[in-house]
Amino acid sequence: MSAGSAQPYREPAILLTPGLLFLLLAFFFPALQLLAQSFLTFGTEPARFTLEHYAKAAVDDFYAGVGVRTFRLAMIITALCLLIGFPLAVIITRVGPALRTVLIVLIILPLMTSVVIRTFGWLVILGPGGVLSWTLQQLGVIDRGISLMHTEAGIVIAMVQVLLPFLVLTTLGSLGQIPPSLEEAARVMGAGFFRGIFHVTLPLAVPGLASGSLLVFALSISSFITPTLVGGVRLQVMAGSIYQQMTGSFDWGFGAALSMILLLSTLLLIVPYMVITSRIGGRK
Amino acid sequence: MHQMSVRSIVKHFADLKVLDEFDLDVAKGEFVALLGPSGCGKSTLLRIIAGLETPDSGEIHIAGRSVTALAPEHRNIALMFQSYALLPHMSAIENVRFPLRMRGQLSRADQLRKAREAMSLVQLGHLAERYPRQLSGGQQQRVALARSIVGEPDLLLLDEPLSNLDARLREEMQIELKRLHENLGLTTIFVTHDQNEALGLANRITLMNRGSIEQQGTPEEIYRRPRTVFAADFLGGANIFELEVSESDGVWSGSFPDGSRVDLAVSSDLEPGKCQFMLRKEAVTFDPEQSMSTITGTIQTQNYLGGQTRSLIRAGGIEIIAVTDSDKTETDRIETQIGWRPDELIPLQNV
Repeated sequence: MSAGSAQPYREPAILLTPGLLFLLLAFFFPALQLLAQSFLTFGTEPARFTLEHYAKAAVDDFYAGVGVRTFRLAMIITALCLLIGFPLAVIITRVGPALRTVLIVLIILPLMTSVVIRTFGWLVILGPGGVLSWTLQQLGVIDRGISLMHTEAGIVIAMVQVLLPFLVLTTLGSLGQIPPSLEEAARVMGAGFFRGIFHVTLPLAVPGLASGSLLVFALSISSFITPTLVGGVRLQVMAGSIYQQMTGSFDWGFGAALSMILLLSTLLLIVPYMVITSRIGGRK
Repeated sequence: MHQMSVRSIVKHFADLKVLDEFDLDVAKGEFVALLGPSGCGKSTLLRIIAGLETPDSGEIHIAGRSVTALAPEHRNIALMFQSYALLPHMSAIENVRFPLRMRGQLSRADQLRKAREAMSLVQLGHLAERYPRQLSGGQQQRVALARSIVGEPDLLLLDEPLSNLDARLREEMQIELKRLHENLGLTTIFVTHDQNEALGLANRITLMNRGSIEQQGTPEEIYRRPRTVFAADFLGGANIFELEVSESDGVWSGSFPDGSRVDLAVSSDLEPGKCQFMLRKEAVTFDPEQSMSTITGTIQTQNYLGGQTRSLIRAGGIEIIAVTDSDKTETDRIETQIGWRPDELIPLQNV
C-alpha cells in the first residue's frame, strides 16, 4: 500500500479544486449577488430590504405573459428536438462509417458558426419576400406573401435548428452503447424494424435523450439572441426581458428578481424530470 | 421433406469469399452442428439463415416455404446469440414473453403462462422477476434459451451456445441442451468451434473449412473416419504422420521413417507411395493383442490425467501420443511395445 492511500480523498480533491473554484466564482458568487439584489432597493443609499421587485413582477400581466411564453416555447422546442433528433441519431448509428462521419459533420457544422449569423440566415428565409414565402407562393400553397418574422413559429423553427445538435450528440452517446445484437435479437423475435426501435432502442436511449433534452430545455429557456432577433420586441422572452431591465432600463433590482423567478421555475421543472428519467433509465 | 435447406449460397465480404456455393439440408428434429475454425463461414451462414445477412446468391427454405426474401421477423425462427442479447430493461419473464408479444397471436395471460412454462423448462421459474444484470452468466443463458424455445419456432439457431460459460457450467448446459432437444424435438442448428461441443450435442456434424463443407456425418463417423488431414486434426486427439505404403500379394503395409513396418487394413483408399495417416491417441495400447499392429518405442514423458494417462512415445522414428487408462499404462521409462488395431490407422487425403 502506498502512503497516499491513507487519505483516499486528498488526490481527487486536488483534481477537483480548479473546477470547483471556477464554478464558485463564475456561478455561485454572481447568483448569490443577484439573489441579494432582488431583495434590495436599487439606487438608495444605504440599500434597504424590499419585496417591491417581486411584487412588480407578480402584478404586471406583461411579465406573466413573458414567463408563460418562455416556458411554452422551451417545451415545444424540446419536444420538436426529441422528435427530429432521435430518429436522426438512430439512423446515424446504423449507417456505414463513411456516411456516419459525413452526417456527424453536417450536424456539428452549424455549431461552428455564430448564433447571430445563423439567426440572420433565418431572417432571410422566414422574412417577408424570403425564400419560404416565395417557395410557397410558387407552389400555389398561398396566394400572397407571408412572413414568419415576429411569430412564435419563427422562433421555434430557428431555435430547433440551433439546438438540435446538442440533442443528437448526447443521444448518439447512449445509442452507441447498445450492442447491435439486441436490435438483431428483437428483429428475429418478430419485432420488425419500427417495433424493434420502439421496444428496444428507445428505452435504452433514455439516458441520452434525458440529458440531451435537459440541455436543450435549459439552453432555450435562457436564450435571448435568437428569440429577440426573430421574435422582435412584441414577443419577448424572459432572458430578453432581463437583458432589457439590466441594460436598457437599468432596473437591476427588478432584473435580478426576474432572474431569480426564471432560475427557480426552471429548477422546479428540471429536478422532477431528472428524477423520473433517471428512474426509467436506471432500470437496466 | 427438409425442415430447412440452403442451396448454392454465395457470400462475399468485400473481396473475401466467405461462403462458396454452400448447400445444407436439415431434416425435421435434427440437431446439426456447424463446426469449424474461426473464419470458416459458419457464423455468416447462421446469420444468413436468420435473415440478418443477405446472401449474394442462393436460396433458403424453412418449413416448406422460401424465406430468401423475407425479413428476419417473418421467418418464424429463434436465434440464441453468443452474448445472449437479453434486453436489459426487461425482467427475465418479460424477455421470455417478448417473442410471443411481438407475434401477438396469444392473449396477454396466455403469453405469460407460456413464458412461465418455458422458464420452468430451463429450471428458472423462481427467478422470473429478476433483471438480466441480477442473474449469473449461466442463468442469463437459461433465460436466453427459454426465450428461444417459447415460441415453438420452425428452426432454432444457436450461436456458440456454450462459449461464454466456465468448464463446469458448460458440461451442465450440454446435458441440459441435449435433454431439451430430446423433449421438444425442435430442429436445431448450432455453430461452434469446439469439437467437444459438436461431438457431445449433435446428431450430425457439418465440418466447415474456408466456406465449404469439409466432411459431414454423425459425430462417430466424423471422429473415427475423418477423410482429410484437416478433419482429423480439427476433431482433436489425433496422431497424424506419413507412412510409405506398399503392397505385396494383396497385403498392404506401411513403413515408418526408421523402417519399421506395420500392416494396414485393406481399404479402397490405399495406393502405393507416401500417404498421411491418422491414429487416435486412445487407439494406442501398451498391451497389444495378437491381431494388432505393433511397434517398439520408448516412453519420453507422461502426464497423469486421473483416470487416464497421456504418454509421449518415440517409435518408428516419430513421436506418438497415447492416452490410455491409467491402470493399463506402462510407467517405467523403458523400451515398450505399443500396438493398435490395423483399422484404427486411417489413411487421409492430403488436402
